[in-house]
Amino acid sequence: MNLADFGRFSDPALLILSSLADGSKHGYAMMSDIETITGVRLGPGTLYGALARLEASGLIKALPSKDRRRPYQLTAKGIGALREQLALLQKLASTGLKRLASA
Amino acid sequence: MNVRGWLVQLYPRSWRERYGEEFNALLEECLHTPLDMVDILFGALDAHLELSHEMNWRSMNMNNKLRTSILMVFAAYIAFIVAGMSIYGFADDSPFIPMMKTNLLLSISWRTIQAGAVMALAAIVIGGAPLAWTVIRRVFTSQRKDLQLLLVPGYAFLALVLYFGTMVYLSFTTAILNPPATSTAHGLMWGLISVFILGALASTVAVWKVVSNTDVEQEAFPILGKDIKIKVYEFAFTPAIVATISMIGMFIASIIWFWQAFSARPDLLATHQGPMMTDTRVALTLTLILMAGAVVTSCSGLIRGRSSQKTA
Repeated sequence: MNLADFGRFSDPALLILSSLADGSKHGYAMMSDIETITGVRLGPGTLYGALARLEASGLIKALPSKDRRRPYQLTAKGIGALREQLALLQKLASTGLKRLASA
Repeated sequence: MNVRGWLVQLYPRSWRERYGEEFNALLEECLHTPLDMVDILFGALDAHLELSHEMNWRSMNMNNKLRTSILMVFAAYIAFIVAGMSIYGFADDSPFIPMMKTNLLLSISWRTIQAGAVMALAAIVIGGAPLAWTVIRRVFTSQRKDLQLLLVPGYAFLALVLYFGTMVYLSFTTAILNPPATSTAHGLMWGLISVFILGALASTVAVWKVVSNTDVEQEAFPILGKDIKIKVYEFAFTPAIVATISMIGMFIASIIWFWQAFSARPDLLATHQGPMMTDTRVALTLTLILMAGAVVTSCSGLIRGRSSQKTA
């Protein structure tokens, strides 16, 4: 699964997958977590645009709602997609850093 | 209903049924700034444009991307028609018509615009016919309420006819539209243009929404006694390329035409030479911006469609 298919929602989708990597969270908890770890505040429309795509693609699944808040968790497919994307980013980061060091 | 409720209502019904309650709960905690509202507006618009009718919401498959691609080219074409009407308004009954007999570049660019218009229309009709036929057939085989949106182009046309009829009535019964044009006459002309543009916009959005909500990939067409299966979006892609090339050609030709026309008669720039006696500079700028936007939209649609075919 390539997150690039999500268009303008590809970056928010990666942030959401990363946020869910340590366990299930509902929308507001995801927003707060993402803001804490990256400094990026996702707007509510963007968050749910990406969430809906991730769910439709089978990368996350909804859990039973608690007090009107619905938590989401990664599926096996989502874990695979997240690993793949992070490995790609890691490779990019290490290549970029190496090039900077040799410049 | 409070602001949150209104914002949630902006989303399509099936989206609200699935996410509405939790989204409302989220907004209770995080709706802080006007930027949040703008973000929600874009989110709702996106949901309307991409929503598939079934609850398998936003399956990001090739067919959906190709469908969006084709619809983007269609929307761009409608915008181009509006711009084309404006160019016709510049030329109609203007000093530029006799100039085209002596100015070769002006004449060639005008012919190019005409040829491009014919080519783009043919491409849209050929590419869109199977899709239009399929969607219209669904009107008669399903009871979906949103299919009534297909009446919007008819209503838009009716509104235009009524407005135009009123103007004709006024021209016969009053002196409002007699030359020299007054600010009232200019206002009425801009009103006509606005009705036309709003009608085109509403019709495009309505058609987009109905087609988006119609889950069609392949359809059988009875041709010469046989059922020929056509993948309607894939079939429309090549004509969409032709339509886009035509629009690019017309855009370039229009720039040349305007440049040649107003180089020869710069005095007309300060007059009301635009369509329906509108201000020349304003109409010229808006026309070119609309054309450029249409070309960019159409090219973006093709790139999106091409990428969907590569990933298929």
